[in-house]
Amino acid sequence: MPSIRIPGIWRCCALAFVLVAGSATPLRAATGTDQSATLADLQRKLDESLMAIKALTERVRELEAKQTPAVGATTPAAPAAAEAAQLEATEHRVEQLERADASRKTGDSGLPLHGFADVGAGTHNPINPSLKGFYVGNLDFYMAPRLGDRTRALFELNTEVGSDGTVGVDLERAQIGYQFSDESTVWIGRFHTPYGYINTALHHGSWVNNSLRRPRFLQFEDNDGIVPAHTVGLWATGARHIGAGKLQYDLYGGNAQQIVGGALDMRNAGSPHGNLMGGGRVAYQFGDGAVNGLALGVHAFTARITADSPLSATRVRTYGGYAVYDTDAWENIAEIYVFDNQDLDGGSGAHRSHAGFVQFGYRVPWGVPYARYERAVLDQSDPYFSALEGGGSYYRAALGLRFDVDLRSALKLELADTHLTDRSREQYGEGLVQYAIRF
Amino acid sequence: MVQAIGGGNAPADRLLHEPTACRHLQQLNTRAGARCPDRTWWPTAWVLVALLAGSPAWAHNLGSARLDQLPQQWLDEQGQALALTALAGHRVILSMAYTQCHHSCPATLARMLHMQAQLDARGEQASFLIIGYDPEQDSPASWRQYRANRRLERSNWHFLTGSRENVRELARQLGFEFWIYDDHVLHDPQIVVFNSTGMLSDTLTSATRDWLALE
Repeated sequence: MPSIRIPGIWRCCALAFVLVAGSATPLRAATGTDQSATLADLQRKLDESLMAIKALTERVRELEAKQTPAVGATTPAAPAAAEAAQLEATEHRVEQLERADASRKTGDSGLPLHGFADVGAGTHNPINPSLKGFYVGNLDFYMAPRLGDRTRALFELNTEVGSDGTVGVDLERAQIGYQFSDESTVWIGRFHTPYGYINTALHHGSWVNNSLRRPRFLQFEDNDGIVPAHTVGLWATGARHIGAGKLQYDLYGGNAQQIVGGALDMRNAGSPHGNLMGGGRVAYQFGDGAVNGLALGVHAFTARITADSPLSATRVRTYGGYAVYDTDAWENIAEIYVFDNQDLDGGSGAHRSHAGFVQFGYRVPWGVPYARYERAVLDQSDPYFSALEGGGSYYRAALGLRFDVDLRSALKLELADTHLTDRSREQYGEGLVQYAIRF
Repeated sequence: MVQAIGGGNAPADRLLHEPTACRHLQQLNTRAGARCPDRTWWPTAWVLVALLAGSPAWAHNLGSARLDQLPQQWLDEQGQALALTALAGHRVILSMAYTQCHHSCPATLARMLHMQAQLDARGEQASFLIIGYDPEQDSPASWRQYRANRRLERSNWHFLTGSRENVRELARQLGFEFWIYDDHVLHDPQIVVFNSTGMLSDTLTSATRDWLALE
């Protein structure tokens, strides 16, 4: 029998056929059919299949033989102009494909990895003054995948060192939103609570912030901040050009925070009591004349916040305002917060406290020198503040300097003098240095 | 010595007279669980990050860039359509910026103004283009205001707004690496120069001295 070169696909078909045919065999055997008859039947079918494959293979060869000379015959006869046009069209097509491919590999992948990191040293740790020496700050990864024209997403993953030196990871922001228009976007998830200026202008990346650290009372929750920096809920935000300026507005609601272990917890998984918080912010950013760069805003929020130790429930009502003068030369920020809280369980009644800061920064070609004064006068009979580790009153004066080492790294220095004024009467001075980068 | 005066509903241990460092450590130890998030999943996060780190960096080939190969659909600060090819015939100096930038964009603009002065001294015409990084923040109206505030009134200066796709594509082709962090656009300052035939001459760095010699 002459040998037949069978293309791979037909071999697969034959194998499949044998397997299919074979799959029936056990059934037949089980019914007592004669085994030799079955084998003969299979042999016959296999022979038929091989014959069919041979015929098809020959047919393919015939077709290929017809096609090859046809291509070869047209080429020499084609005019030079047509050839050039064809070549140009091909080049154009290749160029388009290259561009599309490059686009997929870069911007359109939607998820390049960027972030910030910082390390430092000081006579005190900038967050935990009981610690001294060198410290590892934050390693912050920021991801904003592109999901389409309207859908937005934003995630910020921060590795930070706890006070006991262990490294933890926090999903600082996880929000997905829909942009209805340039003037309206609705986010759901965990976001930076829109109050004041710096909480939504200067996030976790230290490099973005000209100063070495946030004001003490506006620190993030796990750094003893006393105002809920994060909210898990829904946030509607937008801006509209009015005149030469821009009106910005925010409205939000979410899980009411709880005080757990002396720190605010934003209840990522939901609130056990179903308590809610809500608030808003309105600001106007001037766009021309002498006030170009000036922004004025007001904000307020309310929440029923419970504490685990000592057990308490407080109706927290916070309102305040801010002024920012941000130009090519100046970065001046002032924020004030008033807390009109109501003790809901302990019967201690109403409590009023306030906190604020003012910071002046001047931009020079190599960096930004700055000065800041901050103060918090917090009623210690207010169950809200008494349950918070960072709920003590204080004032602090600081002088600092941001030096841009290069385009992506900055060295910051700060000298600060802090006075604790109620829980303990204590004063300490700090000399801090921080090296912050972006990548 | 620390004098603790406390008050209100503060826990009794806060009222004790004790060294500050000791009290802080005690508090910190008590709160260790709250301060340090669940670490059982952070190795997973690192794996995720490592995978993401495999994303290719910005790739661009500046050698072959031509003005007519760049995206052409832009709006100037007056809201008028402007195609980059309409500027061919003399040099085009191009950079990218955003209106709220107070970090590197002012320095870039200052350098472009200096370049304009150099061209003026030679009696040479050129077009200066500033393309906005973030079209969601910087509309033609924003650029109009920006231009007026900085007295950048010459008619050969154009501040352009485009779609997100066009901005990214142009940035990719010209090697302007940037990423948007909320309201901030993190980017490096860069200026590119096209010659009168629309071919990219060079990307200017701080080390580029005689840019006028570029062809």
